[in-house]
Amino acid sequence: MTYVSIFRNKIAGLKVGHLKMGATFLFQARLCLYGLSHSSGIIHQGKMCARTMCTKGIKPGEQKSPPRKTDTTIRQTESFKVRQMPSFPTSVFAAGNAKRTTEMLKRKTALASLEQEDAAGDQPRRRGFKTDGLVAPDRPLSPTEWKKQLEEAPCSPERFDVHMMTLLFKTGAELDIAKSLLTFVALETGTMSYQLLLQYLTLCVKGGHDAEALDCYQIMRGAFPALETGAASLFIKAFSRTQSWREALPILRDMKKVIAPSTRNYSDIIGGALLHGAAAPAWQLYDEVLGEGLTPLPDTWRALFEGGARGGRAEEEEDEGMPPAEYGERLLGVLGYMRDNQVYPERNLADAIKSWFHSLPGHHWRGEWTTVSPKGVCKGCGSELESIQLTPEEYTHLEARVMADIIQGKDVFQKTTAEELESFKAFVKRKPVFDVVVDGLNVANIVKGRQSEMLLAVVCELERQGLTSLVLGRKHMLRPSASWDRRNMGLIQKKAHCFFTENTSEDDPFLLYATLHSGNHCRFLSRDLMRDHKACLPDALTRRLFFKWQRGHQLVIHGTVAQGRRVGFQMISPYDTIVQSTGVSWHVPYDDSADRSSYEVPQSWLCLTNKP
Amino acid sequence: MMGLFSRRVSVELWRLWSVSGTRNFSIGTFPTGQVCSSRSFSSGRFLRTDASQPDQGDKIDLDLWKSVMRSQTAVDESIEDDKEQVKKGDSTDSPSGCVLAATRELVSMWRQAGKLVPDKITDQDVKTLAELTTKSSKKKYLKFLAIREGHKNKSKEKQEKKRAEKEQRLADFPETLENRPPVKNSFLMQYRDHWLDRLLGWRGAQAMNFGQPLVFDMSYEAHMTPQELTNSVSQMLEVESCNRRSLDPFHLHLCNLQPEGGYRQQLVKRYSEDAWDRLLITETPQRHVDVFPQEQLVYLTADSPNVLRTFDPSKVYVVGAMVDRSIQTGRSFATAKRLQMATARLPLDQFLRWEIGAKTLTLDQMIRILLTIKDTGSWEQALAFVPKRKHDGFYQEKKQSERGGTAARDRGDRYPQRDQRERQGSAREPWGAGRGGQDRGVTGKGVGMAWEREYKQPVTRIRSSQNSTTEERRRTNKTRTPWYQQD
Repeated sequence: MTYVSIFRNKIAGLKVGHLKMGATFLFQARLCLYGLSHSSGIIHQGKMCARTMCTKGIKPGEQKSPPRKTDTTIRQTESFKVRQMPSFPTSVFAAGNAKRTTEMLKRKTALASLEQEDAAGDQPRRRGFKTDGLVAPDRPLSPTEWKKQLEEAPCSPERFDVHMMTLLFKTGAELDIAKSLLTFVALETGTMSYQLLLQYLTLCVKGGHDAEALDCYQIMRGAFPALETGAASLFIKAFSRTQSWREALPILRDMKKVIAPSTRNYSDIIGGALLHGAAAPAWQLYDEVLGEGLTPLPDTWRALFEGGARGGRAEEEEDEGMPPAEYGERLLGVLGYMRDNQVYPERNLADAIKSWFHSLPGHHWRGEWTTVSPKGVCKGCGSELESIQLTPEEYTHLEARVMADIIQGKDVFQKTTAEELESFKAFVKRKPVFDVVVDGLNVANIVKGRQSEMLLAVVCELERQGLTSLVLGRKHMLRPSASWDRRNMGLIQKKAHCFFTENTSEDDPFLLYATLHSGNHCRFLSRDLMRDHKACLPDALTRRLFFKWQRGHQLVIHGTVAQGRRVGFQMISPYDTIVQSTGVSWHVPYDDSADRSSYEVPQSWLCLTNKP
Repeated sequence: MMGLFSRRVSVELWRLWSVSGTRNFSIGTFPTGQVCSSRSFSSGRFLRTDASQPDQGDKIDLDLWKSVMRSQTAVDESIEDDKEQVKKGDSTDSPSGCVLAATRELVSMWRQAGKLVPDKITDQDVKTLAELTTKSSKKKYLKFLAIREGHKNKSKEKQEKKRAEKEQRLADFPETLENRPPVKNSFLMQYRDHWLDRLLGWRGAQAMNFGQPLVFDMSYEAHMTPQELTNSVSQMLEVESCNRRSLDPFHLHLCNLQPEGGYRQQLVKRYSEDAWDRLLITETPQRHVDVFPQEQLVYLTADSPNVLRTFDPSKVYVVGAMVDRSIQTGRSFATAKRLQMATARLPLDQFLRWEIGAKTLTLDQMIRILLTIKDTGSWEQALAFVPKRKHDGFYQEKKQSERGGTAARDRGDRYPQRDQRERQGSAREPWGAGRGGQDRGVTGKGVGMAWEREYKQPVTRIRSSQNSTTEERRRTNKTRTPWYQQD
């Protein structure tokens, strides 16, 4: 170990002399030390030279270049696995990660934000609102009393009724007060505006006065030639809660003439139908929602599962029910839909799913709220979850789409130039397959001010693990400057394959292409979540495939990297977070908090096992 | 017919009377004609006086309004029945007509529900509305129509008022020979509008012969929504008028202007056929690269890496005539890349403390900036046309005045220039090496240049297509020697 001690002396000397330079050198020296201490056996000068002097650019394909596979079969070579952090740190894709990060950043600038909040708190409330100056009565008034109110009101007498009704709705007043107002208006003018009745109806529906809403329906139907969408939605909601839910169907049909009904409308009727045991029409409506290309609301699914748990039998008419077997089939279809569309149910929906499974006669389903180990084993039943790797067909499809939609797009010049793309393709073809593709600028910019050192540290770490890496960057990185040290850049080019795009090109698409082209074992290193590139993909299926591939192939540097500290990577989860079944068990990932962003996946699971 | 109505009405009123529980009701006071003509049949006046009597006690009849509305309904329905019988003949419409009718009805109901909806709507608008797929898009379109209608009504009202006033004036003082206002006598000759037009015309003609060309690239029609296209046409009108009125106009070229395209159609419509033909500009469906030699062309785009430091009168500058409400980063830059043209962006970062907003400018701002820089050679004056909301003033005045003449001096003797810079010492330069630090926060927002997001290089390193040699020289002087070269 004499070599090491010499090195240390040298470093000590440098530290005293040139402070700034010393620090840089210390960093580099430490990197070398890592390389040395790692390799087992006797360390001697010759090996050191071989390590640092090896130039990858000179002899392409000669060193460790396994023959390129023409097909993209899954290569499960354990030796190529990137060493990850031993513990299970939260991945960038874990639910709530983005929110936590934001909160942490906020806390860092806590003082500034506090001041801002104070400023926001001092702002006066919205002025000049219609109901300003009006006072809602606390008991039903007689017409004469209302008349007095009208005379004292600050608003125009024509709009008094509407404004007062708005105020009643806002303050959540009793229905009788609103009724007395209506009576006053009816007596005063002999008629009522549609708007006033609509607001009264909103008050009824909000307060759950369904009988009153039905009366209102009779009146409005009679007094006006048609119903507008707002009133129609309210009536659908009100009717669905009562015995006469069937009345809502013609309203829905009328609505369809002019406008596509919302999923909320469908959800109300489906809920109403199931509440009264009419399973067949409910499923028909559900099919209609899917046919329209809409995503059903979680409430719809919940109603369906709860209906299933109740038995799904018709109480009133036999022909409207559905045999439990068929109902069950359909519910499994819903779970399949969730799987295909990467839907994660919320806790209350998961509850409904669980109780439906429990209610199945003749089976012994047992549900459990659980989590999954980092290796992808369910802690509840001990079975292994589905792998996150894509099938060869999916992989080929994704590769083609990424090339066509993300890199080329409508105009290849938007992100790159035609010549550059050709030269990059040739470059990738010429080089051996990569194990890791590094987004040079993204990685380097983690540490401001010493970009090249950071990049070098990462490249060294990858090299130490025996991985063939490609560093992608832009040409400006090759110009020596304070951030882009010439020596560091030289070292990086020796240790890894490098490709520098034009300064005016985007480098992320190249990164994706190189990674996909190198085969299924290849990963990429970047903090970027690639959402803008994902959005370039035209259809939802490919976007989901891309996201799945991304979760299985994106390496992210773990935590902050202090100077001289070793670089660690976040763990890539080996299992897919999606609704899945093996026949004797179901695993449903569910949302247990509201913190999940759309590009994150939940961490909690519902494990259902069928044990006889 | 009248007899039929009155009989029906009397039946309804009898029903109403029995429902509301009022006694002294006189049928004779109802004019039957009113019932026939209007739907909002009002019977409340009579009810009020009568119904207020039971309210004298503490009990208020809360459901009275229902009976009032129901009675009204009954009357309405009977009328409706009659109308339907009459109208039965023309109710066999096509399905598309049915959709249109339903849409029209929806609009009328939304109006009643108090939504922002125009009072009158044309068939064309109804058709457009019916084609919109989502509810929110329909609402937005109706809101747009309503606001437009409001503006139209306002201006119409104003005109009416003016006309009424004029008529009033004429009525008060009839214009007779004696009453006419006296003819103004002045020793100054009156300057007439068409004289000015003629003068500007001469200037335009001169510009078309000898002036510096300025190209507007009209090839972005496909990338704009109809609204954006309308906006860009408005801006083009302003560009032309600005150019026409300037002291030394550009020779405007509208390249890539397709004869059948929407761009040209709208331009001709806005100018009128005659005025368009008389306009002193050049329009061509050819590309700019086919009209001018490649080496003369410089594409001005916010995404360019090169900064336009000096305005070169021998170059032909190209401006992309596009309005992009949702900023399409790199759209015009991609065109320039494809055609392998030189590119440049305005020195906004070098002169202005940029605060907010994209570095893209409207077409009329561009022409004002270009005209001013051509006339005065001073960027401070030219960049005064950048919207004030986007920046917080210029960098220090002193430095700019020195900068203003650098190009001229650079061409001659470079040593005085260098001395001057050395004298300035480490003072913060508005552009150049200091940029990497001070402008980071602004350019890093990613509005302008995509490539710059991760780009940490001082801008001086980029070779401007304009005066690369002088820049090269300046750079070698300015850049700090790296530490590894010092050793």
